Amino acid sequence: MTAPPTHDAITAVWRRESVRLVAALARMTRDVDLAEDLAQDALVAALEQWPDQGVPANPGAWLMSVAKRRAIDQFRRNETLRRRTAELAHELDEAEVPDFEAAVDHIEDDVLRLAFLCCHPALPPESRAALTLRLVGGLTTQEIARAYLVKDATMGQRISRAKRQLADSGAKLEMPTGAERQRRLADVMAVVYLIFNEGYAATGGDDWTRPDLCLEAMRLARMLAHLVPEEPEVHGLQALLEIQGSRLRARYDEAGDPVLLEAQDRRRWDQLLIERGLAALGRAEELAQRGAPVGSYVLQAAIAACHARARRAEDTDWVEIAGLYDVLARTFPGPVVEVNRAVAHGRAFGPEAGLTIIDAVDSVPGWHLVPAVRGDLLERAGRQEEAARAFRDAAALTRNEAERRILLRRAGL
Amino acid sequence: MRYITFVKMTEDVGDPPPALVEAMGKEMQAAFADGSMIEAGGLSGMRDSTEIRLADATITQTDGPYAEGKEVAGGYAITEVRSHEEAVEGARRVLELHLEHWPGWEGSVEIRQMFSSQ
Repeated sequence: MTAPPTHDAITAVWRRESVRLVAALARMTRDVDLAEDLAQDALVAALEQWPDQGVPANPGAWLMSVAKRRAIDQFRRNETLRRRTAELAHELDEAEVPDFEAAVDHIEDDVLRLAFLCCHPALPPESRAALTLRLVGGLTTQEIARAYLVKDATMGQRISRAKRQLADSGAKLEMPTGAERQRRLADVMAVVYLIFNEGYAATGGDDWTRPDLCLEAMRLARMLAHLVPEEPEVHGLQALLEIQGSRLRARYDEAGDPVLLEAQDRRRWDQLLIERGLAALGRAEELAQRGAPVGSYVLQAAIAACHARARRAEDTDWVEIAGLYDVLARTFPGPVVEVNRAVAHGRAFGPEAGLTIIDAVDSVPGWHLVPAVRGDLLERAGRQEEAARAFRDAAALTRNEAERRILLRRAGL
Repeated sequence: MRYITFVKMTEDVGDPPPALVEAMGKEMQAAFADGSMIEAGGLSGMRDSTEIRLADATITQTDGPYAEGKEVAGGYAITEVRSHEEAVEGARRVLELHLEHWPGWEGSVEIRQMFSSQ
């Protein structure tokens, strides 16, 4: 006799299905908010019934049929929605698929449409990220709030506001084509990257990283790579996140202080993720060879791969990296790229080469990385006093406590 | 949270029915597609395995095959999930597929969290 499934077990089952439930229901009802409520209703029903009946053999189909029944009930009860019912009843009948798995192709399009909607240009970026984690990632509002170090209520409001903004802007679940599809796909990738970076280089608070956000972003990137397999940039994004994610454990020491890339204990890099990242990069490059255009994610992943392939820091192919940054700087110019290009040229051709690049970067107000990198290059050039001054400037600018400590230490304070 | 799961069965069960192979293939594809599956693969039979053992202060080596009837791992999967329950659900799904497509099959899935040594 096996124990009845616990609340947590049922929630775990539901979570595995939630994105597909919400995505399919959103298509049927054309209402993301309602779709989410219906998926939640199905969870409540499961929590009521599964402890007695056990988990059904195909929980996805079970949850879906409960949610659809609720949808029909709701439409019948709710006067204001009745006008849409005639049209929707047809949709719901048509969608009455006995085997949930048989509708998988359909579902993948549904999930992609949902991702496009969550990352809609009508929303500010942080709302896109929250909504994507909620609806595509299947995280609870509490989990997202914890990840972003804000109160549950604050995150709840952000998500509700985002949904309202979507409704007000008339944003629709849609599958854009042509150039519009590329633009919207870029928006989705940017949101996944934003989520990863929020976890990877925690901009606020005492922690150097918030790994849960990184793991979620990696999961989203993998999903996206399966949804849009013909697009090199999507594989590039996955590769970039897998390789950067492989270093999560090595990025801070036991005291919780950050360890920069070259000083990291490479034995702590996650080889499994590196392999996956290199494989994803391989897929991107294969597509590129067949003529698909590559963008910044593929280039960044190629750079990350150079580091990942080097067994020891001194084995790093800095000339290759410097060349990749040159390409990146030509195609996607910007201060972040220039700063990294300065680092790479500094390693490949000596600190003076790096300083030439960093000195040409317009100072970005409030940004600590320019003085931090200048400090590093000056230190390597043996110009200690100037280096200390640069590190002090950088320490005054960073918002991350752990990073401030390391910068002050390098400043000799 | 990273988990490794082993599907275990006795070795005398023969080849899996094609329907199961197909269903398992789909299940794995779905798990790769939703981002939870990191790696999966099969393991060679016990005939080709070796055990070395320390007992009575002596190390001895024994090559397979071993006595039949013991459940052994035939394959493994490494997943990245958000809870232990999620890992268990993935494993349960595998057994549901066996139940559906391989009449009479009996076996188990062992679910273990992986901790990094570094």
